[in-house]
Amino acid sequence: MEYFRSGLKSVLGTTTPGNQPTGAEIVERLVSRVSTSTLLEDRRDACRALKALSKKYRLEVGAQGMDILKQVLELDRSDCEIIGYCLDTLCNITSKDTFEEESENNINMQVNVGEQFTEMFLKNPENVTLILTFLEEYDFRVRWPAIRLMTSLVCSKPKDVQDIILVSPMGVSKLMDLLLENREVIRNDALLLLINLTKSNANIQKIVAFENAFDRLFDIIKDEGWTDGGIVVEDCLLLMLNLLKNNNSNINFFQEGAYLQKISPMFELPPNLEEVGWSPQKVSNFLCVLQLVRTVVSPNNSAQIITACQKTMRNANLLEALSNILMASGVPADILTETINAVGEVIRGNLTNQEYFANVLAPSNPPRPAIVVLLMSMVNEKQPFTLRCAVLYCFECFLFKNEIGQELVVQTLLPSNAGVSNLSMGQILCSGIFSKDHLSNWFSAVALSHCLIENPAQKEQLLRVLLATSLGAQPVSLLHQSAVFLQHTSKLQAKLGILMLLAQWMAHSPEAVKVFLNVPGSMAYLTAQTSASEFDNNEELLQGLCAFLMGLCVLYNDNSVPNYSKENLSQLIEKRVGIDTYCKKLVEISRHEVYAKAAKQPQIKSKHSSELLLEFEFCKLLKTLEGVIIQALGVQRDLSNGMSELSLNEHENALLLQYKELIRDQDKKLQDMQKSMNNMHKTTQGLETQIKELQETNTQLIDQNTLLKAQLAVNPSNVTNGPQIIESIKPLSSSIESSLLERVKTLEIERDEAKKEIERIRKDQDDLLELLTDQDLKLNTFKQRLRDLGETIDDDDSDNDNNSDGLENES
Amino acid sequence: MSYAYLFKYIIIGDTGVGKSCLLLQFTDKRFQPVHDLTIGVEFGARMITIDSKQIKLQIWDTAGQEAFRSITRSYYRGAAGALLVYDITRRETFNHLTTWLDDARQHSNSNMVIMLIGNKSDLESRREVKKEEGEAFAREHGLVFMETSAKTAANVEEAFINTAKEIYEKIQEGVFDINNEANGIKIGPQHSPTNPSLPGSGGAGGSQGSGCC
Repeated sequence: MEYFRSGLKSVLGTTTPGNQPTGAEIVERLVSRVSTSTLLEDRRDACRALKALSKKYRLEVGAQGMDILKQVLELDRSDCEIIGYCLDTLCNITSKDTFEEESENNINMQVNVGEQFTEMFLKNPENVTLILTFLEEYDFRVRWPAIRLMTSLVCSKPKDVQDIILVSPMGVSKLMDLLLENREVIRNDALLLLINLTKSNANIQKIVAFENAFDRLFDIIKDEGWTDGGIVVEDCLLLMLNLLKNNNSNINFFQEGAYLQKISPMFELPPNLEEVGWSPQKVSNFLCVLQLVRTVVSPNNSAQIITACQKTMRNANLLEALSNILMASGVPADILTETINAVGEVIRGNLTNQEYFANVLAPSNPPRPAIVVLLMSMVNEKQPFTLRCAVLYCFECFLFKNEIGQELVVQTLLPSNAGVSNLSMGQILCSGIFSKDHLSNWFSAVALSHCLIENPAQKEQLLRVLLATSLGAQPVSLLHQSAVFLQHTSKLQAKLGILMLLAQWMAHSPEAVKVFLNVPGSMAYLTAQTSASEFDNNEELLQGLCAFLMGLCVLYNDNSVPNYSKENLSQLIEKRVGIDTYCKKLVEISRHEVYAKAAKQPQIKSKHSSELLLEFEFCKLLKTLEGVIIQALGVQRDLSNGMSELSLNEHENALLLQYKELIRDQDKKLQDMQKSMNNMHKTTQGLETQIKELQETNTQLIDQNTLLKAQLAVNPSNVTNGPQIIESIKPLSSSIESSLLERVKTLEIERDEAKKEIERIRKDQDDLLELLTDQDLKLNTFKQRLRDLGETIDDDDSDNDNNSDGLENES
Repeated sequence: MSYAYLFKYIIIGDTGVGKSCLLLQFTDKRFQPVHDLTIGVEFGARMITIDSKQIKLQIWDTAGQEAFRSITRSYYRGAAGALLVYDITRRETFNHLTTWLDDARQHSNSNMVIMLIGNKSDLESRREVKKEEGEAFAREHGLVFMETSAKTAANVEEAFINTAKEIYEKIQEGVFDINNEANGIKIGPQHSPTNPSLPGSGGAGGSQGSGCC
């Protein structure tokens, strides 16, 4: 502390005496120092101081320092020391626990500060990824606090962290690598982290298993000395339990990977165990291993997996080892109890294992079957309650789907065998049923009832069992004695036990019903109980069970007992109890919280003996037959439904009127509905016709479309069929041709005429030319004459002469 | 039963291409026409024989849906073999192969053997991707290729076994570091690490050990 103070002083500078700064002020200064200092040493010192304050002034450090701490993680990641301080500080402020220093400081700590800071930190998933990268840093100062910070985050907000880790690449793989760490502190803390991380998240569980978790864990367990190891062994086992619980894929992997065989060494008891004794840690470890065994063969798993695991356990001698523990001396009671439960689940429903268990002998003198020894403890008042429950559960598991086992038990009671063996299973149970200890009554009755489940043959066989009640008296049948005992015992627990036994016995067995109906007073007792209106604590269960038994008497009645035929009994119920009351009582059972608890799982999980009232298999029976009984009674009532309104009293009459009114109302409503229904129908019809029309037009359009398409498709082929077109053009062309011909003819005619005309005109011209030359000659001679006569003549004339010469030449 | 080697496989590919059915056909020899959507991953295992050696295959069948992609990525690193499956009747599942391959190559160890599988070969009439296309893709990316039918079981055994053979050969060649479990390979219990020069010498037999299945 002194060191820390001096450290603080060096960081903060000396404060003026008498003016002590508050925690918040110190934190504020430190935070500002971290954010503003340029020297790494300064920042480091400030971070160290923040870490020291983070428990006492958690709120202040968290509120003011969260951001700056994250910043340091990013910027100063190369310096392991400062990162270590930051991680430690974050670990403290996000922790779920309350620190001692803190509680003296803050009184109003109702809200969980750690959770809130965790939430703040997780707002940015990048932060978690950052922490994950610090896990890869080998330096102890970083890796260790990083693991602890992760653990702290997971503890505060498991779901959020799980989701982030699942999506961050190789997140789980990085964590798994930590199990290989040779620094034990880190490895052990990594174990704790994984335990918290794998809680109820199947995806993470599977990845962890894929990353060879089981191999690593068994290696650690082996190194630590199996169950003699310390708490680390327990942690390893807890992690395995997390990986397997309700995770069929992982259980399958566990079984396939031959890990069940690796459990064997843990069940080996050292020869000198009695001297060494059981250390508390060994007890814890051992209980975890037993839990592990039970988890893989739990009745909640899929049948395929259970069978496979059970087989493996037998072959790996695990069943043998467990049986040995059962019979060993000096085993603590809680381990013994859990071992009995484990044996039960390893053999449950597996004939080979059940057979093996039936043959296990206890090292007593003379040797007795282990089952007998166990049953003796069940009916022994001095044994711890949980152990007695475990024995019953184990015995039930032994009989589950095991006709041979059921027969084995019943046979020990049959007249031919009785008296031969000194102490048999059947005899223990019978004496248990009628013993003074009412808890034994309950256990024994339930145990015996399991010999009869779905086994008609044994129901019949058990009817043959006779008991010698007192010396010299006539022997009576077991069922008879049970029915008598039911009427005489005053303990609720004993009564319920007997009733459940009788119910299992009489269900589907008219023979048993017949014997029961012949027991004097039995029916009267049931009627009285069922019709009773007052009830104490849990008395309603008794009344319900009695009602149920009455129902079974009706249901499985072969009418062979006079006065108690099917019809007689249903009338008895109707008249004496009243159908409504009867149904109410019957239905009451399945509404009871005791029923809900018992029907949950085959194992009896009561903490106290007084809670032991109903049992799993009985609940199943009740569930299946409850409805059948009510239905059967309902049918009976309908047959005798001859009542008229006259027979009703005033109150009922009023009720009837009320109902009539109601019916009338409903009738009216019904009609209205029908009307509106009709309307709807019409409109839908209208709509339908519209649709039809539309469809028709649509098809028409489609047809047209296809037609057009077809035409389009035909056209180009027409072009290639040229002759056709020519054919079609022919008349046209011939008409044109003829007209053209005509025209040609006329034109030819015209031409001929024109030719003639031209000929004529030429002739004319020739004639005229001849005439002209004649005239010209005459003219020339006349001119000559004139010249000769001395007349002057114009040049023109001479010219004309020339011209005419030319003309003359041309022509 | 004891084994000489244990190989870890993963099956990847788009949703609905038949990954779970391939696994079921291989481990249980049955076909389930309607299979629930795989959530996350599911585990299956079987023993095979190669070169007269018992080899245990542990197979993690992953969910193909995009939502589970980040979860299934966690399985690449520790696997020795991967079956990359597409559906020959759905072209898009073939088109997505590159994405899957990139993802696998990025997150797995470099020696992981990848087998390309065109599943549903029984639905020839609905085929959208030619066999040659698959072959070409495989050749281009250095993968082994096969068309299978989880329904008729055609080539299913071969697909798983050939992948194992490829891994086995790589071990013989010394490509795989068999002592590093992160590679998805484990040596059987009786082939103890005290005898690391194993493959040839250690094939004695399965009579040792507790003899359980």
